[in-house]
Amino acid sequence: MNLLGSVVEHYVAIASVIFTLGAVGFLIRRNSLVQLMCVELMLNAVNLALVAFNRQHQDNMNGQMFAFFIIAVAAAEAAVGLAIVLAFYRLRSSVFSDEADKLKH
Amino acid sequence: MEALAALFPAENYTLLAFIVLLPLLGAIVNGVFGKRLGREAVTLMGLSVIFVSFVLSVVTFLLLREAQHEHAARFFWHGWDWATLSTQQRGSTRIGVNLSVDALSGTMALVVTGVGFLIHLYSSKYMEEDPGFYRFFAYLNLFIFSMLVLILGDSLPILFVGWEGVGLCSYLLIGFWFHEEKNASAGKKAFITNRIGDFGLLCAMGLLIYFTGALDWKGISLGANNLLQPVPIWPLGHHFPFYEQLGSLGAILNTKVYVSAATLVGIALFIGCAGKSAQLPLYVWLPDAMAGPTPVSALIHAATMVTAGVYLVCRLSFVFVLSPAAMFIVAVIGALTALFAAIIAFAQNDIKKVLAYSTVSQLGYMFLGVGVGAFAAGFFHVLTHAFFKACLFLGAGSVIHAMHARIHDTDASQDMRNMGGLKKYLPYTFWTFAISWAAIVGFPLTSGFFSKDEILFKAFTSTIASPTAGGVMSTPDGEMKLFLWPTWAGTALYAIGLTTAVFTAFYMTRLFIGTFFGEFKGWKIVKNYQAAHGHDDHHHHHHETGPLEGPKPHESPWQMWVPLAILAALAAFTGFLNAPLFHLEIFEHWLHPVFHAAAEHVKPIEGAEGFMHPFVGLAVTAFAVGVGGAYWVYVMQKGEPAKRFTEAAPGFHSLVVDKFRVDELYDEVVIGSVDSLADISVSGDKWVVDGILARFTAAVVTGTGAVLRFLQTGVVHVYATFMVIGLLWLGWFLITPRAEARTATDAAAGSYSVSAAPGLGYKYRWDANGDGQWDSEEFNDTTEVNFKLDVEQSRKVRLEVKNAFGRTNSAEFVLERPKRDASGASPVTLDVRQQPDGSLKAVPRGAGSAQGVKP
Repeated sequence: MNLLGSVVEHYVAIASVIFTLGAVGFLIRRNSLVQLMCVELMLNAVNLALVAFNRQHQDNMNGQMFAFFIIAVAAAEAAVGLAIVLAFYRLRSSVFSDEADKLKH
Repeated sequence: MEALAALFPAENYTLLAFIVLLPLLGAIVNGVFGKRLGREAVTLMGLSVIFVSFVLSVVTFLLLREAQHEHAARFFWHGWDWATLSTQQRGSTRIGVNLSVDALSGTMALVVTGVGFLIHLYSSKYMEEDPGFYRFFAYLNLFIFSMLVLILGDSLPILFVGWEGVGLCSYLLIGFWFHEEKNASAGKKAFITNRIGDFGLLCAMGLLIYFTGALDWKGISLGANNLLQPVPIWPLGHHFPFYEQLGSLGAILNTKVYVSAATLVGIALFIGCAGKSAQLPLYVWLPDAMAGPTPVSALIHAATMVTAGVYLVCRLSFVFVLSPAAMFIVAVIGALTALFAAIIAFAQNDIKKVLAYSTVSQLGYMFLGVGVGAFAAGFFHVLTHAFFKACLFLGAGSVIHAMHARIHDTDASQDMRNMGGLKKYLPYTFWTFAISWAAIVGFPLTSGFFSKDEILFKAFTSTIASPTAGGVMSTPDGEMKLFLWPTWAGTALYAIGLTTAVFTAFYMTRLFIGTFFGEFKGWKIVKNYQAAHGHDDHHHHHHETGPLEGPKPHESPWQMWVPLAILAALAAFTGFLNAPLFHLEIFEHWLHPVFHAAAEHVKPIEGAEGFMHPFVGLAVTAFAVGVGGAYWVYVMQKGEPAKRFTEAAPGFHSLVVDKFRVDELYDEVVIGSVDSLADISVSGDKWVVDGILARFTAAVVTGTGAVLRFLQTGVVHVYATFMVIGLLWLGWFLITPRAEARTATDAAAGSYSVSAAPGLGYKYRWDANGDGQWDSEEFNDTTEVNFKLDVEQSRKVRLEVKNAFGRTNSAEFVLERPKRDASGASPVTLDVRQQPDGSLKAVPRGAGSAQGVKP
């Protein structure tokens, strides 16, 4: 525990890096499938941070509990997101998100 | 009788509630369930409630007769409190939903329920084919309810409820066949014209409660003497604006004008009566009201509702007689209306229109009667008129019913020029019509003869005495002369009345002859006539295919002629209730206690008794001249003189045919000005509301939207970028610690506290004693520090906050205790000091130290 406790900063650093990768990837990639994967990355970065913090505060299990919630939400989000991508592909024969501009004005 | 009297004591006479509420029950049942109940059930419901109401009215009448000997008997039913008004005169006045009945309202209730029942019976056959049968009976029952509320209400507000109720029913029933534009607009016209009158009645209520402090009959009569005071009506306000600059004109404009309060109240009440009872200048709605079904014309627009104005004048007779001016207005308007409407009736060919103008004219007679102070005579004419005019209208309805066999157009079926010779086809209708015709033209010994004769006699012989000594009233600006009746008034009113009697006899005879005598002109009567085209010939225009053929006009069923017979009998014989000629004054004695107070102000001229017999001669002469004239013109000369007259004075004739173009005048003046006002309002709506308020607001929103639209690119990445920017800002906000605190001070006690705001994983360290050193170097969970300060002492408190990320932030708070006498929001200590006069007074400590008592 001490071993882990001393390196919580490392976990947080790794989580930050993964989150940033996900965020940047979400912003700059045009392929919606990749964007969905980036969202997953971000969510998992948060999960990692939560679990790491929970090791430090072992008097309750809030962090791990939240991690499970996030996994469930992520699954749902993936399902909905893929459905949107599928519908969009049927509409436009494309999965590039910058072509989804029908909502303009 | 005694058992009944014991069961229903005068102070808690519950029968009144039943009399009033039964018709309401009928209206609700017929109105809500009528469509499903079917025709028989609706008839049974509608007729039975009115009949029970009539029986109860008869019982009430008999009980009243038992109770009334010398003093006025009055039965009360107290409902519930409605409103409480605070008044100048009596503090607060309670307005209750109370009903009461006395000789006047008891008689009126008999007429309303009795004639009402007969007309209900008549309608059950007359309206048989109508798809809106149940609706008709619901309205008719509702009308009887409203009329009874009007009559039996114990105060003006309750009367007003009934007043509006009958107006509503009148509107609904005039526009009963609302599919035709003409009928619907006639209903609207009646309703709106009545509104003008109702405004007068509302004003009268306001004036009465202001001056007498009451609105119930007893309260008004107790406070009536307060009405004998001058009311300044000009100039508005204290003086005319800029009158000093206007020179002599200003002096004239600034002359104070006073009117007695009784006159104001009388005129305001009479405006209400003129609206409801179709007097000049508000009579225009009544002739148009004939658009409604004929039983409605008989019940509402001849027998009952239109006499409500006369009833109100009788009811408040003790108020009217306090103002000779108001009485004069009532009498003159009544006389002029009688004459004016009679002239118009000469040139009308529509049988119902003639009867409508005749009603306006007869109502004028009633107002002439009550205007000269002959309240009993005026009200007696209400009674007789209710019988003979209802009979005439129902007779006309029976004729129209017969005409409808082949003529389906409303106007054509009511046109006298299509009738004639109906005597042999409609015997019952003919004889009852003949009797009521005799009554209205004043055939000797009929009811109309006695009631009209009495009014004319009283018009000549009565004047209203001054309500104050010497006919003067003292005002703040000296004495004011009251209006007193001129000596020629009686002669003039009598002359107008007698002329009208001649005219009435003439045009009613013209109507009678045109309808029942001569040749039938409606269609060619064919023996064994069969409806050749079947049922759908209702929709054809018969005139296109040669002369119209048809069967003999048929007599109406018993439900229609029995009411006619009863009404005709009443029209023939009720005159003997009040025939001073034969020393029969039952009616006048019966109403004497009601009009007792008012009668004191009415003074007959000298030698009035001597005029009675000559005047009867004159009245008979008037009848003979009118009827004889009409007989000569329309029977002996076959209408030739009338044609010659038309050719000699075509302008005048068309003026009379067009009813003196009063409607057109109102169209131009009143409706025109309302229209212009509406146009101005429309442009205000267009430019101010639409232009500035609506369009400008919309433009602001559109402009903002146009700017914000640039952010709405439609590119998902841009939206995502906004989201990320937001997230970054939120993260930065959470990472930055904030050293914020709230200070609480109690300057009087000198205790201060500083409490730091909480945050995510915050730890604090304080420098509370102001020595520049942290109280403890370690950060801890102390969120609040408390300390005391002396006067004018100040302290610098420092706070440092460290958050979960180890970042710190610090803040300084300078707290100072002010001097004790500083004003402001700090709590103030009060001292009790002795004043120079010995009393004790609480003053703030430190203030006003001149007293020299320092704590």
